Amino acid sequence: MTTSLAETLNWEKRVVEFSIQDVVKAASEVIVPLGPISRFAARSPWAGLEQQSFEQIARRLKNISDLELFPDDSILQMARNQGEIDVNFLEEGLQQWLERHSFGLPRTATEAFCRAALTQELPAHDLTALPEVKRLAKKLKGFKFHLKARPSVKTLSQRFGPIDGEWALVELNRHMIKWCKLFLDESQAVWPMPIREEGFYSAWQQMATLDPALTKKKRSQIKNLPKEADRALTEALSQLGIAYSERQEYLEAHLLALPGWAGMMQWRSQQNIQERSLLTDYLAVRISMELVFLKPYLPLPEQGTEGEVQLETLISAWLHWGNLSINQWYRLPAAEQGARLNLAWQFDKITRNRLWLEAWEKTYENQLKEKFVSTKQRTSVQKKALMAQFVFCIDVRSEPFRRKLEQIDGFETFGTAGFFNLDIETCKLDHPHSHPSLPIISKPQFKVREYLPESQYQAFHERTEAVQSLSGTFKQMKHNLPASLLLPEVSGPWLSIQTLARTFLPRSTGSTFRKILESWIKKPDVKLTLDRMEHTSTELPVGFTEGEKVQYAEQALKMMGLTDHFAPFVVICGHGSRSVNNPYAASLDCGACGGASSAFNARVLAELCNLSHVRQALDERGISIPKDTVFAAAEHITSLDELNWIYLPQLSEQAEQAYKQIQAVLPKVSEEVNAERISKLPNFKNTFKHPKAEAERLSEDWSEVRPEWGLARNAAFVIGERSLTKDCNLEGRVFLHNYNWKKDKNGSLLAGIIAGPGTVCQWINLQYYASTVAPHYYGSGNKVTQTVTAGIGVMQGNASDLLSGLPWQSVMQSDQQAYHAPLRLLVVIQAPTEYVERLLNHDRAFRQKVQNGWLRLASIDPEGNWKSWS
Amino acid sequence: MSHYLELITLPAVFFIILALSMVSAIFLQWEKVPLYYIRYHIGIVSLSPIVALWGLLSNKGSVLYGPWRFDSLSWLLAFFVLTLGLIVQRFSVRYLFGDRFYRSYFTLLTLTTIADTLAWLSNDLRLMLTSWGVTLLALTLLIRLNKQWHVARKAAAFAGRLFLLSWIILLLAVIWMTQSTGQWQLSLVLEKNNLAQLAPWEVTCINLLLIVAMMIPAAQFPFQRWLLDTVVAPTPVSAVMHAGIVNAAGLMFTRFAPLFSGDSAQLILLVLSGFSVLLGTGMMLVHVDYKRQLVGSTIAQMGFMLIQCALGAYLAAIIHAILHGLFKASLFLQAGSAIQHSKTHSFKHHTFPYLWGITGGILGFMTGIGYWLTSGGGGYQIISALILGWSVIIGWSGLVAFGNGRIGRLAGFITLAAAILMFKFIHMALEKLLHETIMSGMQPPAPATILVLFILLGGSAFGLWLANNRSSKAFTIIYLWLVHLGEPHKEVVESHPTYLAKSFSDRGYFR
Repeated sequence: MTTSLAETLNWEKRVVEFSIQDVVKAASEVIVPLGPISRFAARSPWAGLEQQSFEQIARRLKNISDLELFPDDSILQMARNQGEIDVNFLEEGLQQWLERHSFGLPRTATEAFCRAALTQELPAHDLTALPEVKRLAKKLKGFKFHLKARPSVKTLSQRFGPIDGEWALVELNRHMIKWCKLFLDESQAVWPMPIREEGFYSAWQQMATLDPALTKKKRSQIKNLPKEADRALTEALSQLGIAYSERQEYLEAHLLALPGWAGMMQWRSQQNIQERSLLTDYLAVRISMELVFLKPYLPLPEQGTEGEVQLETLISAWLHWGNLSINQWYRLPAAEQGARLNLAWQFDKITRNRLWLEAWEKTYENQLKEKFVSTKQRTSVQKKALMAQFVFCIDVRSEPFRRKLEQIDGFETFGTAGFFNLDIETCKLDHPHSHPSLPIISKPQFKVREYLPESQYQAFHERTEAVQSLSGTFKQMKHNLPASLLLPEVSGPWLSIQTLARTFLPRSTGSTFRKILESWIKKPDVKLTLDRMEHTSTELPVGFTEGEKVQYAEQALKMMGLTDHFAPFVVICGHGSRSVNNPYAASLDCGACGGASSAFNARVLAELCNLSHVRQALDERGISIPKDTVFAAAEHITSLDELNWIYLPQLSEQAEQAYKQIQAVLPKVSEEVNAERISKLPNFKNTFKHPKAEAERLSEDWSEVRPEWGLARNAAFVIGERSLTKDCNLEGRVFLHNYNWKKDKNGSLLAGIIAGPGTVCQWINLQYYASTVAPHYYGSGNKVTQTVTAGIGVMQGNASDLLSGLPWQSVMQSDQQAYHAPLRLLVVIQAPTEYVERLLNHDRAFRQKVQNGWLRLASIDPEGNWKSWS
Repeated sequence: MSHYLELITLPAVFFIILALSMVSAIFLQWEKVPLYYIRYHIGIVSLSPIVALWGLLSNKGSVLYGPWRFDSLSWLLAFFVLTLGLIVQRFSVRYLFGDRFYRSYFTLLTLTTIADTLAWLSNDLRLMLTSWGVTLLALTLLIRLNKQWHVARKAAAFAGRLFLLSWIILLLAVIWMTQSTGQWQLSLVLEKNNLAQLAPWEVTCINLLLIVAMMIPAAQFPFQRWLLDTVVAPTPVSAVMHAGIVNAAGLMFTRFAPLFSGDSAQLILLVLSGFSVLLGTGMMLVHVDYKRQLVGSTIAQMGFMLIQCALGAYLAAIIHAILHGLFKASLFLQAGSAIQHSKTHSFKHHTFPYLWGITGGILGFMTGIGYWLTSGGGGYQIISALILGWSVIIGWSGLVAFGNGRIGRLAGFITLAAAILMFKFIHMALEKLLHETIMSGMQPPAPATILVLFILLGGSAFGLWLANNRSSKAFTIIYLWLVHLGEPHKEVVESHPTYLAKSFSDRGYFR
């Protein structure tokens, strides 16, 4: 005991200094990185929180940010009206819940209360305000102590709200939005923020001392802040009086105030090694500013009534749902009073809505099960020889298209993740940036570029530059004072012509502009850099070695389950979407390719599979592709349901036949799919004489806010043979991945599907879920009042958090009616039970997702028995 | 005879169609009307610009039709306002589909544009005041339409208060005018012998009132805030503001030209709007939100329009107001494409092609000189010539000098030529239409011209200097001030649009 108190303190301080970065890192799990909107990537907003259960997170976020993670009454009501929720499942869920909780009350009483609470509406008027309720609540005050949840740590500016109004929080957010957007700007401003190269905190600390938006006193306080972000953060935390034990949660609450901007900071910090501590900078700025704002009011009174229960609500719940009058309360023994209060407290809105959601999910699961079982009976016999095989992305939009294609004899389809297992970064001809074309959970290993021989390239390059110089000159004139004054007069007439044409003839104008541009640019047939080129060790290697080509082709074919019975013509189909004037265009592209069309990857795979030495090596490994089989690549345009060829090599005779057959039937297929799909989009009418024309209008109309539904209503991910799902109308709600357990003895394919495509699907699903239940926070708000900011994202109205997720219009039929059904993804694996058990034992992360309710799991064994694992 | 008939009936036809449009818009409010009726409504609304165009093309001289005046200017303004209104309404059919207040948007958009049209058609000042008041009111209601969102409510309340102030000041000016001259008809007020009844100080005072009343809708410093805050409104509402509302000042001063011209108040307007040009441009340069940049640019452009008025170049001001209105409305409507736009390349990494550059310099210089000589060489023409020459240099360097290879240069050259030809054509056509109706103001005093030149050249030079001294304290201060002045007011910012989460709970009547 020789260490003095001072020494201990000193030691503690040093530890804290060391670890503030770690605390930030740990805290950053509550948000997810947010990339630029032009590469819209689907992410689950709760990806870092899966070690806790969905309900725990729901409660916590309700507490901190006032969010409802379970669907709202009106969404549930709508689902009920449409027959999507079977009440028997609700009853089942209620019984289970009651089993797990005991209240020391007769079962009949608890059951009656809970059932009424689940099914009856809220009281028409506020019962908590009744004087007799208030009087009773006062009398029962003693029970409050037992009904207390641990309060979440809130920011001081949040806690300041009840003391002196919301201004501190509002001001803090407003300043943060301003500084973040100026700092993060990519290209929109001509005069970028000065000294931002020095880092966020440092630039802010120097500039804010001159900011006219702050009072002189505050500016001088900022001037005296430490020069380093770490120190500023720790000092601000101690001056605000945040205990060491609460620091992580305190930072989390701050990150959750503006999760979008914080997420963008986090994304940037992962991109660039020089900016790796950007999130610390962000928190240092935010909390230092909080300190400056709140300094005159410190210390704030303790978090008082936080987390304490309102007895009035519990009493009125009993009054309304339990028919327990106030007089009856007084007559009850104390123990029963407590028990009843406890029941009403536990059976709160979150619990009730959870039970409803689970009933909805089970109903859907049951419907799916019945569909699969009923089709089991019919074994479709292939009448004609195989002509063509199509490989589609697992995307839910592939399902209707595949269903229609398969109605033609001799056509077979497969589903696999749209990056086709190629970990590549793609670079299109004459594009300044390359795109990581793979799920955002992984990093690219190779780069593939488009190229042209020099002779062709020069002319092409000149033509594209000419187009770009037009917009470049427009910008140049706009930013030059005298020229900007003339610009409206020069370009006004041209813009007006375009505006008039786009407004009154949206379909033909859009396609005409596109055609003119295409015929001017005349993009020649480009080649791909598939062969390995010289490279420096710091850069990604360009192209593949011979061995890698074989390895990737093999892996891709195995994943999609296409290792034997090859048709003469195999079409690898990537997919992309077409829409105009849509900042969310990338959200309609392939999610497995990081928000871009998967056509590029499709082409790479098709070319690899056509290489003779690859085929030879594959043959040695047991995958023998017949000589006559030809691989081609196409792009499925999801907003038009068209198939565009992007790579069509020399065809064999049989392949040629298949190709002709495809060309002959495609118009009819796309017409039918369009008709099915377009009737679901909100419009003045639901049937169209020319669905194709309407689809074209949707994708070319600059005023269209719903060019297509995207992945809305997605609900399940089926991993199994196509024969299981064939002939079922899955309504475009299901991700389909081919999987044959017989070819996967050691379970590695299944593990790969769950870890890669499975995560992509789960993230897409939860992103849609989150955008529907919390449209203002996890969605990106209303499209009509958005503004693009900093070239990286959108804000709502005048200024807001940088919005992540999907816009309101992408999940809502109208302001009053939801379209997307917020259900957690149901993963269905077609394999023996041991396979699933093995998977759960090996993959801890997946087990956690299932156990904690971040997705749901079911399996079908070879005998056709359905088993729910959730 | 038929000629006579046409003159008499065209305004009548026009008013009937306007009335029909308004009835249709109100009819839409009736819930039993099916939603697809919107298409018929668009059909009815599209008749009015057609009639206005017809009126414009067949117009011969100025005709008074009761309290209304039909001349080429009023026909042109009607055509412009109604066309823009039609575009915005047609755009909203899909853009706002599913909105809780879908029907009301169309009713209010129709009301705004029709009232605005009537304001510029009226010869009776009482009628003009009323119509203009209704326009401003309807616009305020449009901004406020999404009333569950408190941010929209606050922005509308602020804009509404400023509009009211502007309207009251205009009312004062008009009352003063009419009380002194004893006339309510604008054409009579502005007759020489009636104007002569106003003492010079009275003229100046009325003009000052007019200036303040008009600077508010034009969002000139220090009244810029309302426009900056209305970025919160849906895109179509931002677009429709450019149909004769933010640019009302140009139209108004042109109407009041005989009163305004030659008065010393012009100089005040010149200084104030000159500052707004610099401020607006500065905001556009520092801000990073696309819609905010557009608003900054509007402030600058409206400042320039007012400079044109102050220099007596009313025709130029009208042309600028109209073309800028179409330009800015188009840019707002395609604001969703701003992400793609950010990919445009810059010329920075190219080496400067000297020979081509010098050719451009000479070309620009010659264009400027040529324009100045052929246009009669007035004060405003010097400025016009400068801007024109300058723009030619920039256009040439961007399109031709930096053009890549033969194809690039040729394409650039053709584009540039097409732009110049279109510019010339539009100007000639509008001048031909309007030169009789619009009086050309008195030659501005030389100091005024010099002042404008100083603002433009000095502003550019200062900007260039600042851009090259980005690390200086001066730059930081100016930067932060521009950011600060362009930011929305703190009351109209919300970090997350919480109204969306609430809108589930109250079920409305859509369909």
